[in-house]
Amino acid sequence: MEQKDIYILGIESSCDETAASVVKNGRDVLSNIISSQISIHRKYGGVVPEIASRKHIEHIMPVIDAALEDAKVTLDRIDGVAVTYGPGLVGALLVGLSAAKALAWATGKPLLGVNHLEGHVFANFINDKNLEPPFLALVVSGGHTALLKVTGYNSFEMLGQTRDDAAGEAFDKIARVMGLPYPGGPEIEKLALEGNPKAIDFPRAMLDDPFQFSFSGMKSSVINYLHNEEQARRPVNRADVAASFQEAVTDVLVQKSVLAIKATGLKEIVLAGGVSANKTLQHKLAAAAKKAGARLVHPTKILCTDNAVMIACRGYYMYQAGVVSPWDLNAVPALKLG
Amino acid sequence: MLTLALDTATGVCTVGLVQDRHVLAEYDISVGLTHSEGLMPQLDQMFARTGIKKEEIDRIAVSIGPGSFTGLRIGLAAAEAMAYAWQCGICGVNTLQAMAYNIPLAGVVLAPVLDAQKGNYYTAFYQWVSGDLKELQPVEMADRETLLQQLQRCGNPVLLMGECERLLKQDLPDGILAAPEPMRLPKASSVALAAEGMEVLTGEDVFTLRPYYIRKSEAEELWEKRHPQG
Repeated sequence: MEQKDIYILGIESSCDETAASVVKNGRDVLSNIISSQISIHRKYGGVVPEIASRKHIEHIMPVIDAALEDAKVTLDRIDGVAVTYGPGLVGALLVGLSAAKALAWATGKPLLGVNHLEGHVFANFINDKNLEPPFLALVVSGGHTALLKVTGYNSFEMLGQTRDDAAGEAFDKIARVMGLPYPGGPEIEKLALEGNPKAIDFPRAMLDDPFQFSFSGMKSSVINYLHNEEQARRPVNRADVAASFQEAVTDVLVQKSVLAIKATGLKEIVLAGGVSANKTLQHKLAAAAKKAGARLVHPTKILCTDNAVMIACRGYYMYQAGVVSPWDLNAVPALKLG
Repeated sequence: MLTLALDTATGVCTVGLVQDRHVLAEYDISVGLTHSEGLMPQLDQMFARTGIKKEEIDRIAVSIGPGSFTGLRIGLAAAEAMAYAWQCGICGVNTLQAMAYNIPLAGVVLAPVLDAQKGNYYTAFYQWVSGDLKELQPVEMADRETLLQQLQRCGNPVLLMGECERLLKQDLPDGILAAPEPMRLPKASSVALAAEGMEVLTGEDVFTLRPYYIRKSEAEELWEKRHPQG
């Protein structure tokens, strides 16, 4: 008997993108609408939570409407409404969550509350239709750095995460100190293209626990270097600083990932989160994983940043497993992985 | 005309069903639950208890402010999503004006106030005249002293409503009283009644409704102070 197609509407509003998407059978993207606020927050040097929330409420319904229209799917045909309920900015999360809950309740469809970070991992199912658990995931974003064992579509095992700053946070802070515009990660990457990654040897904290990360020492070392050079009135080669810093961060991420590949014997590792768009990280990790006998899967650029495709994809596997969220689901700004 | 009304502008979560001017149901909860947790279960239970079908709703009346920014967005996001799902109309109602419908009584000045933080209040003054609600003073933000001075100039007995507890901690001038507690805070039925005769937004116009914040975000205010040239 032929199985019925399952359509999931995904909704995402955890930070500065209002997004909605319709995904068929978990892997087939029918629409991907993103309304970005980056240009609005740039003059403040970062995301202003109240402004983000105000923009979300203006855009949430038009974005949902556009996602359904683009997918040529009516709301009636949707089987479940998936929405990010954390982690993220609480006021921002609440806009998407409130709209999603009301939409699901009003139409009598299941509500699927999605962990945003799991969503990032699931973005890889869209890019690689053959990918199936178990595999390793390196989650690197502005708020998180973690190595995760994905043992099934609904089971995750945390191997280790950062003790202090997230990798993306370090990128953003260094960018800010260097006077680069927000968001800082892509700006560092751009600047690093013209620099020498071996110019400055910033410390790489490897820690005793093989799967734990720490980036605050590295971050301080870069900031100290910039201050010292400035005080000594020595000209700073900014491209070298960016390239060397990026080299240090990616060295740590890659080495820990290789240790995890060897320790688990898993044959696939996926990249997830905003920093997974970094080309240096992609290239270094792909090469190192191959050497260790594993294959790297990473999302395309559009699916590295916040989007609702990954939320719909994650929601699909919850739907299949019968995991439904209650109507009193609240936003959880510090929601954890695993 | 069957109206579903809701108000999440203050600490009270209130939902109601009003058929023409007849209140079929009203369900208020004020136990400090977040609106995110409370609103949908409350709606779900009200529909279950009344047996009213969701498809019967003709329009949604939602309180759009002033009030708690987050609370307003939770209510408005839910209201817009329901209007979209049911393809029905929506009315955005001024929270203060809706409160004046709690006490449809001539001869007094109704002064609903809402906490605007830092010692300020959002307020507007209303009076019932021959069955119609008249606005004596439009919505503005004022501190305690300014608010009481303005009220004393009204010259009528005044009933304070809304989040007025803090005002009551000190003696009030003669003629200014607090409304009885059960009538003070937002009621969904009043939101529905205030929506009678209002313009109903339908279709894509549903998406144009915005919370009535009154104030810009702090970050914007600060930025404008630092960049007076824009």
